[in-house]
Amino acid sequence: MVIELKSVSKTYNPGLFKKKVKAVNGLSFDVRQGEVFGLIGPNGAGKSTTIRMLLGLIRPDKGAIHVHGKPLRQSPIQREVGYLPENPYLYDHLTLLELLSFCGQTSGLSAARIKARGEELMSKLNLLDAQKRPLRTFSKGMLQRAGICFALLHDPSMVILDEPMSGLDPIGRKMVFDLVMELKQQGKTVFFCSHILNDVERLCDRIGLVDQGRMIREFKRQDFLQSIGKAAFIHTSELSQGQLDRVQSLGGSIRKEAGGHLLAIPNDKYYLVNNFLEESKIEILGCRSEWRSLEDLFMLTVKEQIQ
Amino acid sequence: MKSVFALAVITFKEGIRNRALFGIGLLALFLFGLNVTVAGFFMREIGKVTVDMNLSAISLAGLLLVFFVGVNLMAKDIDRKTIHLVLSKPISRAQYVWGKYLGILFFVTMSLMLLLIFSCMTVLLLLKIYPDYFLGFSWSIFLVACFFILVKFWVLTAIIVFFSSLTTSSLITLIFSLSSYIAGVTIEEVVFYLRSELAAQEKIISESLKNFIDVISYVLPNFSVFDFTLEAAHGLNIASQRLLVSFGYGVIYSTILLLIASFVFSRREFN
Repeated sequence: MVIELKSVSKTYNPGLFKKKVKAVNGLSFDVRQGEVFGLIGPNGAGKSTTIRMLLGLIRPDKGAIHVHGKPLRQSPIQREVGYLPENPYLYDHLTLLELLSFCGQTSGLSAARIKARGEELMSKLNLLDAQKRPLRTFSKGMLQRAGICFALLHDPSMVILDEPMSGLDPIGRKMVFDLVMELKQQGKTVFFCSHILNDVERLCDRIGLVDQGRMIREFKRQDFLQSIGKAAFIHTSELSQGQLDRVQSLGGSIRKEAGGHLLAIPNDKYYLVNNFLEESKIEILGCRSEWRSLEDLFMLTVKEQIQ
Repeated sequence: MKSVFALAVITFKEGIRNRALFGIGLLALFLFGLNVTVAGFFMREIGKVTVDMNLSAISLAGLLLVFFVGVNLMAKDIDRKTIHLVLSKPISRAQYVWGKYLGILFFVTMSLMLLLIFSCMTVLLLLKIYPDYFLGFSWSIFLVACFFILVKFWVLTAIIVFFSSLTTSSLITLIFSLSSYIAGVTIEEVVFYLRSELAAQEKIISESLKNFIDVISYVLPNFSVFDFTLEAAHGLNIASQRLLVSFGYGVIYSTILLLIASFVFSRREFN
């Protein structure tokens, strides 16, 4: 276990005459060596607070945080962690090269290593042309990518990313996605928070859903496939009750979706169900790769919580 | 130590590239130019007025530098949460405080050195134009007065770092630092007045107020000890003991403030 949080709570005191805010409330989870762990949850769920407690920027009121089995205070993670905050504010008048040089020096890297590693990362994130420009001239997406370079320069064994895809265009998102996949292949531990559930779903080995400072549910990749087994997922227009009964009798499963129904058809029953759909002239709206997406599970769990 | 130096370097670069620096520099150059232009109006006092105006211009430019650029170099880090990124690296909170202090100190020192060169050129020019009116002028005393202006700003920088380590907003840091400066410049006169016979005749000044000011005078910085304008303007010799006491006071006061700032900063939470 790389990181372990045990019943951690944190309450913010916004000041005199203001109500205290319970940001994290008895949160427990663990992140294992070499896995990609995603923390998702609605705004104000306590994700960023959790990251700040991990980095030692704030202290938990209750509970314990262990890193490699030792309490966080005895084993600060700064040497082995790379951190990207949400919307990183970097120094306006510095160039990316100077920022990376600072990062390397504080992490104890040699000048040659800083240069080599910096060029490697800037090339991967398409920032080589902008390396000598002041950071204030960078776009939001470029700043995000510069922040990622800053986080990864010292080749950390653990990476903490808070909304890494925020502000990125599709190309930037693909770059970051590939980079996280590469980190995963290198056996690094990645812990990240994101609102872009599609990315979380594709990248993470395990996902924790937090709401109101508590861990509501933990998902594994297999949870998205549920117990349907090998099946094809077809999104159709709205079906009548008779059509629903017929599909079920042919062996298919049905779930109500926005604008229609989602059918899960076991591979061996595919032609039967397909013939029926063709005969009944049922409109096919598209195909899906899984029975429930993380978004479905997220919405379902949050709704359950509200009820 | 490497981390402290690395942080000091980026703080210095961040400060020296700030555009406000050009405005402050131009203002100082305008004051030096004004000095050259109007010096002839002061008859026999040209030497004294030149020294006075030059030291005041350096002092004003330094104040603007510290309050408009220096404050932002640390307080904005906290304001904009850049500090989260910096503290995610292996830098201790105390190293951060000292690194920031040294960075602002380099920045203020380099900027004032540049202004000093222009100031010396102004004095040199007026010395050539009106040599008869600079009889008591001494370069060494003038440079000593300039050096102690710099020491004053080192102490003021420590005050800014101290308040930045306590507050979450650059505006609050600015208000507290400015208040400390104003109080620090006047506190010596207030204390001397209260100890004088003139104050003893005043019935409205209560004993408790006197005691309070007495206590507060040990806490507030006494910026008057760094002021050698009078000596520089009149070419009066300054006892080396006085220089040592003033310098020692500046160093000890700044060190104590930075130690307290490091202690507070190490316990602080960054939401």
